[in-house]
Amino acid sequence: MDNGIIATVAALSALNGFLAWLLVLAEKWLADYGECTIRINGERSVRVRGGLSLLSALAGEKIFLPSACGGRGTCAFCKCKVTEGAGPLLPTELPMLNKKERAGHVRLSCQVKVKRDLSVEIPESLFRIREYQAEVGLIRDLTHDTKLIRLTLVDPSEILFKPGQYIQLESKPYEKIRQKVMRAYSVASPSSETKSLDLIIRLVPDGICTTWVHRHLKQGERVRFIGPMGDFCLHEGEGEIILVAGGSGMAPMVSLLAEIREKQIRRKVTYFFGALAKRDLFYLDEMHTFEKDIQDFRFVPALSSPAPDDVWNGETGLITTPLRSYLEKENRAAAQGYLCGSPGMIQACIKVMNACGISEDRIFFDPFS
Amino acid sequence: MKRTPDEQKIHGNFLPGAVTRDGFLGSDSRHIHDIVLEDSRTMERLGLSAGEIADRLQFFLDEGKKGLEAPVVSGAFTVHVEWHKGSLPCPFGETGLHPKIMARLCSNQTGRCIRFSQMNIHLIRRHGFFEGIGSPLRLDPEELAAFLELRK
Repeated sequence: MDNGIIATVAALSALNGFLAWLLVLAEKWLADYGECTIRINGERSVRVRGGLSLLSALAGEKIFLPSACGGRGTCAFCKCKVTEGAGPLLPTELPMLNKKERAGHVRLSCQVKVKRDLSVEIPESLFRIREYQAEVGLIRDLTHDTKLIRLTLVDPSEILFKPGQYIQLESKPYEKIRQKVMRAYSVASPSSETKSLDLIIRLVPDGICTTWVHRHLKQGERVRFIGPMGDFCLHEGEGEIILVAGGSGMAPMVSLLAEIREKQIRRKVTYFFGALAKRDLFYLDEMHTFEKDIQDFRFVPALSSPAPDDVWNGETGLITTPLRSYLEKENRAAAQGYLCGSPGMIQACIKVMNACGISEDRIFFDPFS
Repeated sequence: MKRTPDEQKIHGNFLPGAVTRDGFLGSDSRHIHDIVLEDSRTMERLGLSAGEIADRLQFFLDEGKKGLEAPVVSGAFTVHVEWHKGSLPCPFGETGLHPKIMARLCSNQTGRCIRFSQMNIHLIRRHGFFEGIGSPLRLDPEELAAFLELRK
């Protein structure tokens, strides 16, 4: 009886193993798509190995589409138009595409597999995205959970970017983490500084890349990033510029303020920065310098939960409190709002700005939100 | 237990570095189905559904979101929510994304605290998955029900 059971289990295991082996073989031979051609904007073509995702295939040709999730189909930064050869929309793409995009052949390039010749349309601006090697020139604690990382460019040795843009930093394997991931971080330095970049990186609980930055990255280490990307930038206008940020949302604001200073833009600028307690505030000296250098600039930090021993005479409450009371004082219809921070903060600030007469089309926020 | 290629792929999503830094299994070597099954037995014994637990956690997470990262007092609890940029896919491979929201919920009476994420709520509600033993965000159903004062 026992022998019969053992023999049956052994036979089933062998059958299982054989089927798994067949699957591996099938994957190897049937999924060999050979070389495929990707035609880009009807102007040029590249030959790539079939079977890769469109995102990876293009990256192999040094054409970098933005992607913050490492090709998992979760950030939707890598959208591009695929006019031929992509096959039907995949379930993984559907939540990330609106009706208009679906009708317009927009796809998530990380989900589309290159199985045959494809035709794609890629905005010209994305051809300016390049791959960079850099050295970590400086790591400095800004707060208990936020670090300043300065990257000195090695190859190429210079980068041109617009204030407000971001780069994608590639992490390295560490501890149990075997794969590299890419995450997006806004540049926190002036665009006139072309030989290095500052990043402000807050530790995300259970975050793969931020843990690597905070616990493993060393000064002098070589890193890889691609960029610049994004269209969060200063817009033309006459009205007041109202900046609102929290935490590492400080990064693009520093870059925008540097642009306002360098270009001597003569618009009123008010910057609301939300933090929990005094220990979460940083760049106060830099903000005081901006207040001296920019004719009509005011920095308004607000603490929502000051610690008992915090000596604080500034604004208190959620960042929406000083923002609302400021906006309600006079007509701000001509003002522009620039927001960077947690999605919750951004949603709350948009509501306040709308209620105070700043229309949606005058409010800009960073792309990660 | 042997796994099909699809199961192996899904199992990979639960390991450290795939979706989150620490993964979802901790030191638990059981098959995911067995983890779910055992926790569902506990829930049955407690007379609770996964939906009831998920609803309660979602209530506190939503309360905490109102604080924009400042602690919010809600009845006998204080909740502190951090909402980070980006979103995470479900490790079970289900379509859809879940924002990176982390909550710390503390009892004002005992001072005891638990940590949970928006992903935890999804995994409990949709998959009855409370994470493996040893996972930093494992929520033991029995302890959780007691903490949330949901025992029947």
